[in-house]
Amino acid sequence: MKRREFLKTSMVASAAILGTTALSAGETHQPIDGRKVSDMAFPEKRPLITYSDRPPLLESPRSTFARGITENDEFFVRWHLPDIPTHIDTDTYTIKIDGLVEEKLEISLKELKNDFEQVEVTAVLQCGGNSRSAFTPIAGGIQWGSGAMGCAKWKGVRLSDILNRAGLKKDAHWIGFNGKDNAAYYETPNFVRELEIEELNDHVIIAYEMNGEDLPYLNGFPLRLVIPGYYSDSWVKMLSNITVTNKYKSLFFMDVAYRVPDNKCECETPKHKFKPTKPITNMNVKSVIGYPENGMKLYHNSHVVVRGVAFDDGHGIKEVLISVDAGKTWEKALLKQENGRYAYTEFRYAYKPAKYGKLTFMAKAINRLGDEQPFAKDIGWNHGGYKYNGIDEVTVEVV
Amino acid sequence: MKKLLLIAILSAGSLFAQVKGDIEVPYISYQIKMGKGFDAVQANCLMCHSFGYIINQGPQSREFWHKKIEKMIVHFKAPISKEDEKIVTDYLFKHYGNGELKE
Repeated sequence: MKRREFLKTSMVASAAILGTTALSAGETHQPIDGRKVSDMAFPEKRPLITYSDRPPLLESPRSTFARGITENDEFFVRWHLPDIPTHIDTDTYTIKIDGLVEEKLEISLKELKNDFEQVEVTAVLQCGGNSRSAFTPIAGGIQWGSGAMGCAKWKGVRLSDILNRAGLKKDAHWIGFNGKDNAAYYETPNFVRELEIEELNDHVIIAYEMNGEDLPYLNGFPLRLVIPGYYSDSWVKMLSNITVTNKYKSLFFMDVAYRVPDNKCECETPKHKFKPTKPITNMNVKSVIGYPENGMKLYHNSHVVVRGVAFDDGHGIKEVLISVDAGKTWEKALLKQENGRYAYTEFRYAYKPAKYGKLTFMAKAINRLGDEQPFAKDIGWNHGGYKYNGIDEVTVEVV
Repeated sequence: MKKLLLIAILSAGSLFAQVKGDIEVPYISYQIKMGKGFDAVQANCLMCHSFGYIINQGPQSREFWHKKIEKMIVHFKAPISKEDEKIVTDYLFKHYGNGELKE
């Protein structure tokens, strides 16, 4: 209990206790916005919106979406198991590769950095439950606003290079990933993620750097899996074991949690849950406005530049449209795409507010497949509150 | 190449202080409601997660809370007794409920 005594004196509870719910057939609306950041900081982080200390659950504020790269100390945090090693010896840390391989490997951090080709990919990391607070009735889980996502430059080694070195046996079919976080009870299943070999490509890497620095402790130091285009439940943190198998092993986090209805709308109603379900994997098209923020005051006839970010699962963003008349008409925003197709596309839109009073900006992204964000109200409800991608809205006051 | 480990300290002037050594994750004393059944909540829930994890789920039905506890028992193998299962459900519904019995 040393940890507790250490900081107990001046703690203040963080995040919000949520408002009452109106029970209905399953509706969606704008996610909760503008939660206060905590008055305390976690290691290597500036103060963020804080839902839990154990496991650590931290959300980035809206202002982070005004930039194409999310800074490490602002990047959101989501762990599942409470027992995260608090001491990492970088000299002895290894990652083990076993199972259906020709040669079992145990690779040290040094070998990883020296013996393999080093590659970099810029990619968005987003929790499948990001924006969950948009669902009514409330879907189970942490009531995230829009800040359970970020975009970083990840540097590391291709997973395929490591598997090639180990040599896959003929009947190898599934790859299981496990990290060093543990549960309080031995019997609790580990947070293991499995991928089918067919899902692998050269963009899947084992990363040790984020934006040119070591991974922050809370983002999975010293190694994490990076699967561009996939929701973050697949990006195993503090990666320590890779096991190749021929059979899919039933796993809680893939078979029970992180699933959506297996129908076209991926939706259901609270009264009529839809079976079967499927795991969440590829992200859908989404955009979030970083500036201005809800409740800001802007001067009449001033030069406002709306800024934000858009992304999808790697098909790439074709257009971001802005509306100031509740979605009746849309105009194109300027795009900046310099970090590749898995990264945030930055958008900006210049606007001169000519009317006093409330003004709502809406942003809608469209990807190269032609998929576009629906209005918040048109999103289908699902019991896990996953994959929300409603058109973002920010309301300011013109004074 | 040695990583500088950081430690977060809350003090009047600065939110950050850098120290070499082990990571120290802060403890937050969440303002959870007191009442009948709280002891059982403390004994059964706090082992694995903070109170923040509970109060940031939003107000929920009795069935929701009961299913959460069942999930802890069935999937996470938490050793929660039948008796405590009910006590904890009652507590959570009373203090973090939405008034509905069913989801």
